[in-house]
Amino acid sequence: MASPISAGSSGTRKIAIMIAGRIGLAFVTLFLVSLIVFAISDLLPGDAAQEALGQSATPAQVAALRHEMGLDRPAHVRFGGWITGLAGGDAGTSLVANMPVGEIISQRLPNSLLLAAFTALVSVPLALSIGIASAMNRGGRLDRALNIATLSMVALPEFLVATLAVLIFSVHLRWLPSISMVPEDAGWGEMFQSFAMPVGALTVVVVAQMARMTRAAVVDQLDRPYVEMALLKGLSRRAIIVSHVLPNAVGPIVNAMALSMSYLLGGAIIVETIFNYPGLASLMVNAVTSRDMPLLQACAMIFCSVYLLLMLIADVVAILANPRLRTA
Amino acid sequence: MADGSIFSRREMLGGGLALTAGGLLVPEGAIAATQSLPRRGGRIRAACMSLSTADTLDPAKGALSSDYVRHFMLYNCLTELDRRLRPIPSLAESIVSKDQRLWYIRLRKGITFHNGKALTSADVVYSLLRHKDPATASKLAAIAEQFVAIRANGPLELTLQLEGPNADLPTMLAQSHFAIVPAGEKAFTSGNGTGPYRLAVFSRGVRTVGRRNENYWKPGKPYLDEIELIGIPDEVSRVNALLSGDIHMALAVNPRSTRRVSASPGHVVRETPSALYTNLIMRQDQLPTSNPHFAAGMKYLMDRPLIKRALFRNYATIANDHPIPPFHPYFRSDLPQTALDLDKARWHLQRAGIGRTRVPVYASPAAEGSVDMASIVQEYGAKVGLNVAVNRVPADGYWSTHWMKHPLGFGNTNPRPTADLVFSLFYKSDAAWNESGWKNPRFDRLLLEARAEGDHARRKQLYGEMQGLVRANCGVSIPVFISLIDAYDRRLKGWYPVQLGGFMGYTFAEHLWWEG
Amino acid sequence: MTPVSALRWTRRLPLSGRVGLFFVLFWALAALVGPLLAPYPIGAFVDQNVFSGASGQFLLGTDYLGRDVLSRVLLAARYTIGLGTGAALLACLCGTGLALTAVVSPAWLDELLSRFMDTLISIPSKILALVMVAAFGSSLWLLLLIAGITYIPGNYRIARALAVNLNQLDFVAVARARGEGRFYIAVREILPNMIHPLLTDLGLRFVFIVLLLSALSFLGLGVQPPAADLGSLVRENISGIAEGAPALIVPALAIATLTVGVNLLIDALPRGGRRG
Repeated sequence: MASPISAGSSGTRKIAIMIAGRIGLAFVTLFLVSLIVFAISDLLPGDAAQEALGQSATPAQVAALRHEMGLDRPAHVRFGGWITGLAGGDAGTSLVANMPVGEIISQRLPNSLLLAAFTALVSVPLALSIGIASAMNRGGRLDRALNIATLSMVALPEFLVATLAVLIFSVHLRWLPSISMVPEDAGWGEMFQSFAMPVGALTVVVVAQMARMTRAAVVDQLDRPYVEMALLKGLSRRAIIVSHVLPNAVGPIVNAMALSMSYLLGGAIIVETIFNYPGLASLMVNAVTSRDMPLLQACAMIFCSVYLLLMLIADVVAILANPRLRTA
Repeated sequence: MADGSIFSRREMLGGGLALTAGGLLVPEGAIAATQSLPRRGGRIRAACMSLSTADTLDPAKGALSSDYVRHFMLYNCLTELDRRLRPIPSLAESIVSKDQRLWYIRLRKGITFHNGKALTSADVVYSLLRHKDPATASKLAAIAEQFVAIRANGPLELTLQLEGPNADLPTMLAQSHFAIVPAGEKAFTSGNGTGPYRLAVFSRGVRTVGRRNENYWKPGKPYLDEIELIGIPDEVSRVNALLSGDIHMALAVNPRSTRRVSASPGHVVRETPSALYTNLIMRQDQLPTSNPHFAAGMKYLMDRPLIKRALFRNYATIANDHPIPPFHPYFRSDLPQTALDLDKARWHLQRAGIGRTRVPVYASPAAEGSVDMASIVQEYGAKVGLNVAVNRVPADGYWSTHWMKHPLGFGNTNPRPTADLVFSLFYKSDAAWNESGWKNPRFDRLLLEARAEGDHARRKQLYGEMQGLVRANCGVSIPVFISLIDAYDRRLKGWYPVQLGGFMGYTFAEHLWWEG
Repeated sequence: MTPVSALRWTRRLPLSGRVGLFFVLFWALAALVGPLLAPYPIGAFVDQNVFSGASGQFLLGTDYLGRDVLSRVLLAARYTIGLGTGAALLACLCGTGLALTAVVSPAWLDELLSRFMDTLISIPSKILALVMVAAFGSSLWLLLLIAGITYIPGNYRIARALAVNLNQLDFVAVARARGEGRFYIAVREILPNMIHPLLTDLGLRFVFIVLLLSALSFLGLGVQPPAADLGSLVRENISGIAEGAPALIVPALAIATLTVGVNLLIDALPRGGRRG
């Protein structure tokens, strides 16, 4: 193992280079995503004009609205126009709501981030404790109990879990509101009540994956010869786990965490639907069904950026924590 | 419409009489419904089925139930419908015609928009004519084509000239799309109308909040201080929100949820029998559905009592393959009811010459109950040797991609205020939404004749013959009319059913009061 | 495997593993022969009432349209297990294969693959499914493909993280020094040492896919009626939730026992390939 000092300096440089490279690559990925989203959504039947006019559209109206929305231009022109606008910081105008996409997003994004942040605050520590505790007690009663507990958490469809929670806590006990529309001037108590069930439902969804990957990664390290050696040297199990096992297991663990966290934005669609929470996922579904291309693209860009950011953080943490990766 | 009268001639000749009629509406609704007098105050939250970024303050663009509710909160039309769907005066003090073609409209005096501007005939001309501009993207553009000319004859008087005589004009003008907006309004960001509520918050896809318009021109109205309108797309969540007290009214409750609502002491289920229907479409210009034996056979395959019972838990009315429901004043009662008859179905379908060919039927959650109806058709089809394959397609894009495009599919038609509208929009040979593509010259002639006819008995006879023609020859099978079911907090008073839609035909905002 | 050795193998499993094995075998059997045992056709409207409780005539009651729940659950199990297994295998084979390729390949290929996975994963799966179904129409193969593709990147990232760590270890360096080829190192040195966490991942992916399918049924995408997967059964009968209708509870229990069973079994599998 390299000495901490040299590892630190070479590590910092390595990380700086990696971050710079990643940011460059992020633009490539974002471009790819926008291209794919554009291509797929072009395959969709109907367009924004038809969807807006609905069942009652007459051909003259569709033509007029298409022209107004600029949908009568060829696909590559539309894409080019959109992406040059974006490069200049303009995400375009929603075809359906007829207002700047940025404005619509800015109403929804904070909601989604808030929900994700609360869920992360609850689920990450929970998953880490469950994973490490069960790994340390591998094969023991606690391990088995936690294992069954996490497994049963993901064993039911989330819409059923959420609906059941509403039935119990809102309809019968009347403790919590069944819909989460947090008023702007809400106090902490009200906030807590509004968020309790959505956060709970999302935690149930993500915690099992994180806890089980944590356990698997820690167990994997515990089987290594160095652990046996350290035990023979007389180190305590706790000390071994903290100073040797966790740093080595951190790569897969943060990876699993980052993946689960990225799910919290786009994957929250069911929770958003059931609790009537005005977040980004339902906005994106809305953009798909109304064929609102600029809005759809903006949502996709946000989900992709957040995901890339989380992955970058995961990789940086993995490198910082694992001496071998640091110096390699 | 119950007595077929055109109020323009009998009830509205004098402005004074018309005013009385408008003023009388309040106590009539109140006493009949609950035996208690309306009171002021209260803030409620109402949940529709969905909200989206397409939410609009432009009445012409209204597409969803939430839009209609919002528009009736903020705006008024020239006329409105009473509980028997008869047109009564609203912003118009009188609307009269001798030949049903040239109409004279006089506006009520002293009405102001929320921003203080007085209502004049220029606003009405603008509000009605904009439907003819394709750029407006009006949902009623097809109907507005009947308006040939609209001219202001003075600050409060105007004339409206129709393409051909239409005795139903006063009823048509009561639809929320024809609400009156200030002349020149294009942006539609403020919700500036003459209606009972002023716009306080409008957040697309999230909520609309309306506060009582203290200067509302109807004395004493509205009653509620504030209405918050939200959308909860998931039906189970909507019912849960009602039962847990987070909302006070829920639109479109599933028949299977009614037991839960009724079991709650604080809540009540309200059923509105309506002309809403989901129909099987058999295209007359494609094979194999164009064979008359095919359509006849399919009509005998419909197990209407099963559809009524299993799909709608009896919250439905058995239909007879034409769009006029039994509770409609023009319903023809002497037509024999088509019923499930496997032998006749087999006989017809064999003559349709399809053998064991797979016949795909397209169904979608977009057309309420169609997926389950398709399953029923498939099940009974198998019994008579018809090989139906159900294709469930997503609600997303259904109307633009699938509706009317396949030989066998489903459609869904909302209640319309007049028999003329439903026949002209969906059954006339050259109608854009002639779902089955049938062509019947006799039907078209009767339709025009009935539209111009002012006499109720004669009209009933004409519409009766049209019902018979559709039932026997049209490539459409209508098994049942679906009742609208809403659920309310019991403390909301003043409700009565309006067949045009849930939430009292979406006009609840000015009729309900809170007794907390 | 002879019956005797299979029995011995079973006996060596811990209790949880045996419970898992029982559920997995039970549902595998149900998927294989269940539909033959179904008392009624799945689309038949056999009961005047809806949401009936269990009775002699309908062992598990009837659903929201008065159809037999037992018959529908048996067929739905076949769809769920078939789709889940197929898609989980697809995801894990592609994901792990690509991850191993990435780790032993030149840096540029590794980078390219990783960016491609980022692109795939950053589009939310349910929304991707919504778009794909709207564009191509719903079919079993499309569902399988959507579910598979959705979980390739997740498996890829985890497999790659494991493989990168292993790639740094001494025995891989030794093999490289011996002059072994890239393919040999990936398949013979790295893969056997990550098989256990990968099996855990496979189990979880199966569970996720089963749940993704039910989430899709929530959004109205899924197996074509009158057939259904277990998630669709839960979804279509959700209005029976307050009365605790068997039509809702039975498919929910089926999903639960199936997913828990698969995971218990995988957890209990004897671990192989580990080098001391």
